Amino acid sequence: MKLTHRRGLLLLGVSAALLASVLVYLYFMSKADETQNYAQARDLVRQIKQYNSQWENEILKARITISHNYDPLVSPLVEMTRLWQAFETAEALHGQSDTPAWRTAHADYRDALAQKSRLVEQFKSHNAVLRNSLAFLPTAEDGIQAQLGQLADADKLRLHNIATDTYDLMLSSLEFAQMTTDDKAADILVGLNKLAINKDRLPIEFHAPIDILSNHIALILREQPRVNQLLEQIEAVPVAVRLDDITLMLDRDERAVALVDQQYHFYLLVFSTLLVLLLIYMAIRLMRSFSEINRVNRALLSANDELEQRVEERTRQLKDTQSELLDTARQAGMAEIATNVLHNVGNVLNSVNISADLVTRKLRTSKALGLGKAMQLINEHPDDLGRFLSEDAKGKMLPGYLNQLVEAISLEQKEMADELTQLSKSVDHIKDIVATQQSYAGASTLLEPLEVSTLLEDALRMNAGALTRHHVTVLKEYDEVPRIMGDKHRLLLILINLISNAKYAMSDVCNHARNMTLGVKRLDDDTLQISVTDEGEGIAPENITRIFAHGFTTRKEGHGFGLHSCALAAVEMNGHLLAYSDGPGKGARFVLQIPLIIAEGESCPSPATGASC
Amino acid sequence: MAHLLPLLVLATTLGSSATSLAQSVGGPLMPLPVLPQVAAERVELGRKLFFDPRLSSNNDLSCASCHQLDHGGADRLPHSLGVDGKPLPVNTPSVFNAALNFRQFWDGRAQTLEQQAHLVVQSPTEMGSDWTTVVQRIAADPQYRSSFAQAYSDGVSEHSIQNALATFQRTLLTPGSRFDRYLQGNTEILTTEEKYGYQRFQEYGCIACHQGVNIGGNMFQKFGVLGDYFKDRGNPTEADLGRYNVTGEEDDRHVFKVPSLRNVAVTAPYFHDGSAATLEAAVDVMFRYQLGRTPSAEDKALIVQFLKTLTGEWEGKPL
Repeated sequence: MKLTHRRGLLLLGVSAALLASVLVYLYFMSKADETQNYAQARDLVRQIKQYNSQWENEILKARITISHNYDPLVSPLVEMTRLWQAFETAEALHGQSDTPAWRTAHADYRDALAQKSRLVEQFKSHNAVLRNSLAFLPTAEDGIQAQLGQLADADKLRLHNIATDTYDLMLSSLEFAQMTTDDKAADILVGLNKLAINKDRLPIEFHAPIDILSNHIALILREQPRVNQLLEQIEAVPVAVRLDDITLMLDRDERAVALVDQQYHFYLLVFSTLLVLLLIYMAIRLMRSFSEINRVNRALLSANDELEQRVEERTRQLKDTQSELLDTARQAGMAEIATNVLHNVGNVLNSVNISADLVTRKLRTSKALGLGKAMQLINEHPDDLGRFLSEDAKGKMLPGYLNQLVEAISLEQKEMADELTQLSKSVDHIKDIVATQQSYAGASTLLEPLEVSTLLEDALRMNAGALTRHHVTVLKEYDEVPRIMGDKHRLLLILINLISNAKYAMSDVCNHARNMTLGVKRLDDDTLQISVTDEGEGIAPENITRIFAHGFTTRKEGHGFGLHSCALAAVEMNGHLLAYSDGPGKGARFVLQIPLIIAEGESCPSPATGASC
Repeated sequence: MAHLLPLLVLATTLGSSATSLAQSVGGPLMPLPVLPQVAAERVELGRKLFFDPRLSSNNDLSCASCHQLDHGGADRLPHSLGVDGKPLPVNTPSVFNAALNFRQFWDGRAQTLEQQAHLVVQSPTEMGSDWTTVVQRIAADPQYRSSFAQAYSDGVSEHSIQNALATFQRTLLTPGSRFDRYLQGNTEILTTEEKYGYQRFQEYGCIACHQGVNIGGNMFQKFGVLGDYFKDRGNPTEADLGRYNVTGEEDDRHVFKVPSLRNVAVTAPYFHDGSAATLEAAVDVMFRYQLGRTPSAEDKALIVQFLKTLTGEWEGKPL
């Protein structure tokens, strides 16, 4: 039962944990921060793209500015590299970019960026020198023109032609910077050739400035197409396209992830619905259980009420019965008391009867009658009394007879006096019984110094006649017991009863001697034990517990009062009465154990007194 | 409302003219930025490492052996001596403001300061060591070990050593040059000659390449745009090929990183080959091979005067 209960609990726990973990799993699988990661990644790509545009913007600015700060052409790349690193770290962190497509996309971007930065570096170098030379052109040309103007002694027309040629060359060069065409390039080449020819026609001090100018124009002719080409190439590098590709891939991945997310959301929904259904089901079950419990409770309550009613009814009946019983008991109690008294009185009366009988018999057979006969003889011889007494045969015997008679009569008197003392003792006992009975309600215990052996003798004597009649031999096993303080009446009551019972128990015994053993024993310092053992009919084991119950008796004429009152008396003396028997026909032994209270002035137990019946 | 509009336009115009005015003072040149916010314990580690000869194979050379902070961040030699006692192929550039260069080394082969440290330590001619050894040596020092454990989650490692060195170098800026103060608005601080020198610097086109916050150091340029420098100099070396050694492209032959002109007056000799012992000689070479022009002696002197205003301060003292 307990095992099943525990197993049930375990099962419940496991299933609860299982459901919870499924819920948590689904929750984590459907969490939305993936979207945030994608947003972050897209934002990084967007920023890279922004820096890319800024970079291109700066490149275009550098193309037209004469003196330019090239730092802005460096910093976007630095920023882009930094952002790209952040992007790749984030990607790696989220386990993306592991597919070949992603690796390709990353490699493509890196290639494009490397290509572009390489081109930008070249552009910076070439653009710087180109811009420098272009800026220098007017100055260089102005210098030559001024020098030409100072040439006073020359052919004006030729000088003018040279000046025009130089000017045209400069203009062509500047135009070339704006419109880089092959025609312009050819023009410049022609101009350079003319300048070379013109140089030879001019004085030596013109050679250096013209060489410088030619060099710079040649540089422009060389660098301008290169710069243009680089710009075109830079423009053609698909950095932005690659970034867009990455954004597209991010979008696609995000959609895929979102799809999975949605799936898990759906699963979560389904699972939650199932859980809710389960909850509802369990709630219904619970409600049902509750109603069932309530119903049972109500039924129990009504059953309880009914039961209570019945109990009440029964109680009332019982009360009625009890009052009836009480009445009966009161009557019975009175009867019991009467029985008790009568029983005890009856017991003692036996003794009284015997004593009276004895006295009567003694009186009837009294030797005093002999005195009358002797007096008759004397009276027949009133005159010759002396002679009669001395001569007559009868008369001579008379004094001796009278002497004997006196002895006999005095003996008789003594015996009768003894018997009468016994009688008066019995009457005293009857008086005691009645007095005790009269004060029964108080159940007072009068403790007086007692000689246990005397007590036993008294009890025996009170039963003496019956014992003699039934030929019961009394064996005495008295230990040395000091005088005790005890309730004489109760003890006597018990002993008389026990002796009487023993006598009755042996009334049917004829195959062996009717021995009754009286025992007195000091069990320990506090307990005195008096036992009465018979060799009579014994007690059946089933009766041994009932034997002290009121009304129990095995005798036809018995009223089941004796042992009951004995047991009560024993308890009233703070002792107890026990019965032992090995079974029917094996005799019985009644043991009275009472507290041993040694009488004052007693230190040593008095010697046991022996007596025979 | 209607009369408010012209006012607004005027304000905008004024604003923009003010901006252009501010720009016109500096032009394409910028004062040094403020020191970056970096972790102090990493800087300290970097400083220690910078002076630590355990970075070289024979425990002889530290970074500071060539990049002497009291000698303009370089060592005044045309060619510093490497771990093997032989002169290195190129002149040692200054470590000051190196963090502001867009690439490191004359040929720009390192993108970052970390990479630069990595390459120098591994170079057989420079430090001649390898990172396993360096990490072992540094990690054997308990003081380093505890400091690194505090500053870096991975403790002593190749990465953390390089980062510490780079972080230290990022603090090696030299603000407070007279020219920077001029750019910051103190126009009285330059003499008339120096201001003229700056004007010549722009007019002749030096500024075409030497511009930006580091006055150079943000682009590659061919050495010998308007003349064959190497042919004229003679004794061509492999190092003369410049960036060609990195990219292998013909276009990059003799191309070098344009060096910064900050502290140029205290970082002689000049050029990758250390061939110009004085500023005047260097300016001459630049005019001849880069600008293709012949300036007057006066202009040249003015430019040199201007260049001398670019010397900044480190730890509160002029370099």
